[in-house]
Amino acid sequence: MTEFAPFIVAGIATGAIYGLAAAGLVLTYKTSGIFNFAHGAVAAAAAYIFYELHGVHHVPWGLAAAVSVLVFGPLLGLVLELIARRVAGVDSATQVVATIGILLVITGVSTARYGVITIDFPQFLPHGTFEVADVFVGYDQLITVLVSVTAVAGLFAFFRWSRLGLQMRAVVDNPELLDLAGSRPASVRRAAWVIGCCFAALSGILLAPYLGLDATLLTLLVVDAFGAAAVGRFNNIPLTFGAGIGIGVVARLITKFVPHNQSLAGLPSSLPFLVLFFVLVLSRSGTFPTRLQHRRAYRTLVIPIAVKRVLVVVAAVTVVFLPAIVGAKLPVYTNAAIYVTIFVSLALLVRTSGQLSLCQLTFVAIGATTFSHLTVGAGLPWGIALVLAGLAVVPVGAIVSLPAIRLSGLYLALATFGFGILVERLAFNFGVMFGRGGQRSAARPDFIGIHGARGMFYVCAVVAALSILAAVVINRSKLGRLLRGLADAPVALAVNGADAKITRVIIFCISAFMAGIAGALFLALVGTASGAASGATFSTMSSITLLTVLAIAGRSLVAAPIIAAIAYVIVPSYITNAHLSSYLQIAFGGSALAIACLGGSSGTVLSKLTSSSAWRVARSPVTARLQLRSEVGS
Amino acid sequence: MIEVGGLVIDGLTVKYGGNVAVSDVSFAAPVGRITGLIGPNGAGKTTTFNACSGLLQPSTGRVLLDGEDVTRLPVHRRAQRGLGRTFQRMQLCESLSVRDNVSLGRESATAGSRPWSHVWDGRGERHAAIAATDEALRLCGIAELADSPVVSLSTGQRRLVELARAVAGGGRILLLDEPSSGLDHGETERFGDTLRFLVRERGSGILLVEHDMSLVMRVCEHIYVLDFGTLLFDGTPAEVTDSVAVRQAYLGSAA
Repeated sequence: MTEFAPFIVAGIATGAIYGLAAAGLVLTYKTSGIFNFAHGAVAAAAAYIFYELHGVHHVPWGLAAAVSVLVFGPLLGLVLELIARRVAGVDSATQVVATIGILLVITGVSTARYGVITIDFPQFLPHGTFEVADVFVGYDQLITVLVSVTAVAGLFAFFRWSRLGLQMRAVVDNPELLDLAGSRPASVRRAAWVIGCCFAALSGILLAPYLGLDATLLTLLVVDAFGAAAVGRFNNIPLTFGAGIGIGVVARLITKFVPHNQSLAGLPSSLPFLVLFFVLVLSRSGTFPTRLQHRRAYRTLVIPIAVKRVLVVVAAVTVVFLPAIVGAKLPVYTNAAIYVTIFVSLALLVRTSGQLSLCQLTFVAIGATTFSHLTVGAGLPWGIALVLAGLAVVPVGAIVSLPAIRLSGLYLALATFGFGILVERLAFNFGVMFGRGGQRSAARPDFIGIHGARGMFYVCAVVAALSILAAVVINRSKLGRLLRGLADAPVALAVNGADAKITRVIIFCISAFMAGIAGALFLALVGTASGAASGATFSTMSSITLLTVLAIAGRSLVAAPIIAAIAYVIVPSYITNAHLSSYLQIAFGGSALAIACLGGSSGTVLSKLTSSSAWRVARSPVTARLQLRSEVGS
Repeated sequence: MIEVGGLVIDGLTVKYGGNVAVSDVSFAAPVGRITGLIGPNGAGKTTTFNACSGLLQPSTGRVLLDGEDVTRLPVHRRAQRGLGRTFQRMQLCESLSVRDNVSLGRESATAGSRPWSHVWDGRGERHAAIAATDEALRLCGIAELADSPVVSLSTGQRRLVELARAVAGGGRILLLDEPSSGLDHGETERFGDTLRFLVRERGSGILLVEHDMSLVMRVCEHIYVLDFGTLLFDGTPAEVTDSVAVRQAYLGSAA
């Protein structure tokens, strides 16, 4: 027993912090209905403030902690409440994009200021240890647990017995009634956001000494709290806290059994996401709280058919002569063509059926590694390997779509997020992917006159054009109508005989296929990919950035993927700046957030700015859901 | 229990938590006739509908379709066996046109549970779908609205789109939940004719929940009256009009 004790003690300490963060997250979600993907980023930001004050300017740690938790936390909470109120009326896909935008802005600012390296964070709590029944416990660990337990118990008591707590519970059930009864739902929500962000800030400065200060790492580690929140059904605060401790302990115990430098080294850190994904996949529908979906009209630019034809011809001619125009920059344009396919695969999910995928680059990564095994490993012809690489990702898409069968938009987004990080932390380390010094390589196409950089470009451009064409055909076909029906009125599909589960799985499979092909092309373009480099390219952080870029690029299935690829790949290649990636994160995140706050569509924003009559009112499909029971009847 | 083609409800009880919404209700909506289901607000009409189409699981009781017990089947399986419906709170696809909404009825039915049918239909089925959509649009009197976006319609027109979708879906038993609310006088007349046409020409069975009593009395052959979740009375329109119990349920005991 004693050999496990240190792991259990350390697990309880970190688990308590996850539990603390998760409790804050559940509080804001319960009261506002907005799931804050930026919760971890709030924690990271607070830790940076603490570091700036205490580590750089030598302010006493007590004062620094007070400023970050009791001043900065609440201030950020107030800002977030304003944003939450702005996006309360948009569909939940746009809400997810909005909080992801906040996340990107905060991490972008942090990395621009402090760089991407991990800074040693001062352990400000007492260092000594004491012994209880032959087990050494650090004072820092004891204090961490006591602070977390006190905060969560205080929150629970407050929720249970105070007047404001009662109002918070009421605002969950019926904000209109609360309004009529004389309490303002807005001020109740504001209090919830302030408390929730204080909890996040506290968890950030408690966690940072153990991990060091790294914006992305800290953001995602607090996101570990999502697993605990899922166990607590995004609803039950004590259960959430308990789950946080449980996950912390089990994760630490695994580190005892799985030594470092092994392919399973990522298991402890991916445990929360394993929990998140499987809780979501295995839960019955109706387990989690869902809210009424909002529909909001948005505006699209009406382009006459003749103009569209001219544009297509111009685009085709441009593509043909592009290699001659751009010269040495050609690989950038080839990469952009690949990203067009990736954005189309994403737009197929988001725009036709309102389903969110936060792990699109995971599909891409799996396609890339499979392609490498098929060409370099098995020696298959290039073209056949390309198609097979796409097909290999199809079952993965089907697995990821499992939560989509029974859960509403937000929980699908969470499950894809969990899946992405799970694969990134766990499977990327496997020898078959990029792990153990593994390096995946692939050749460029070389057949019937297609070879070299130009041949590569034309192949990628043709694939991009075919994927756009496929998306347009799907959107106009029976499947497209079924998907739109699925998003707007799933019950209507069911009462007419369609099995909506199948529709969802099909579109995920098609999307995964496209992403897999794009992955194969990507590997062929870059030649070789090793662990560290591909970790960044295919990371979940990059996946969620793609989603914000697509949100900025608009709702068209044709124009949006092209605009998104230009913004994500081509424009940055002409800018030289040491902090470029940070600034891009801020720009993409900030724009997506602004668009979400201004009505949820770039078309709506542009039409307001130009006040032109060319913008036609349309309706977005609401985020897909299959909560049949609560929606029908009176 | 009599074996009839159509829908039979046998001893249906539905509870919301501890609240009994529908208690031990039995009735039949056979094919070839229009059956009315009326009652004051909160009587349990929509709850009964939801239990019939599978959106709610009853605590006890059975739902029989053509003599077969479908109580445990999911919504789409019941629809595949010929049970169609419309909603009081309408379920339309806001981002599509009227025609696309109506053809979704047929397309959902043909998609069913076969993956390939979700993606592709043969030429014959595509033509049949267009024909079925056109006919449903015409029957419901909204052919001229076919290309309008659903967003631009009035409540009454949206009800007709819902009806057309159910008609295009080809269900033999249609459950219609307050289909005439929001329709003007002319539209209601036409609506009644459409229902009778469906019964006469297609041999459909219709179960109609409706507040417009003149419509109910005009088109229904048999009427069931629900009150506080129990079956209060059933009979022909004339019998229902004469019933003291029914009048009391509607107008209060003072009447």
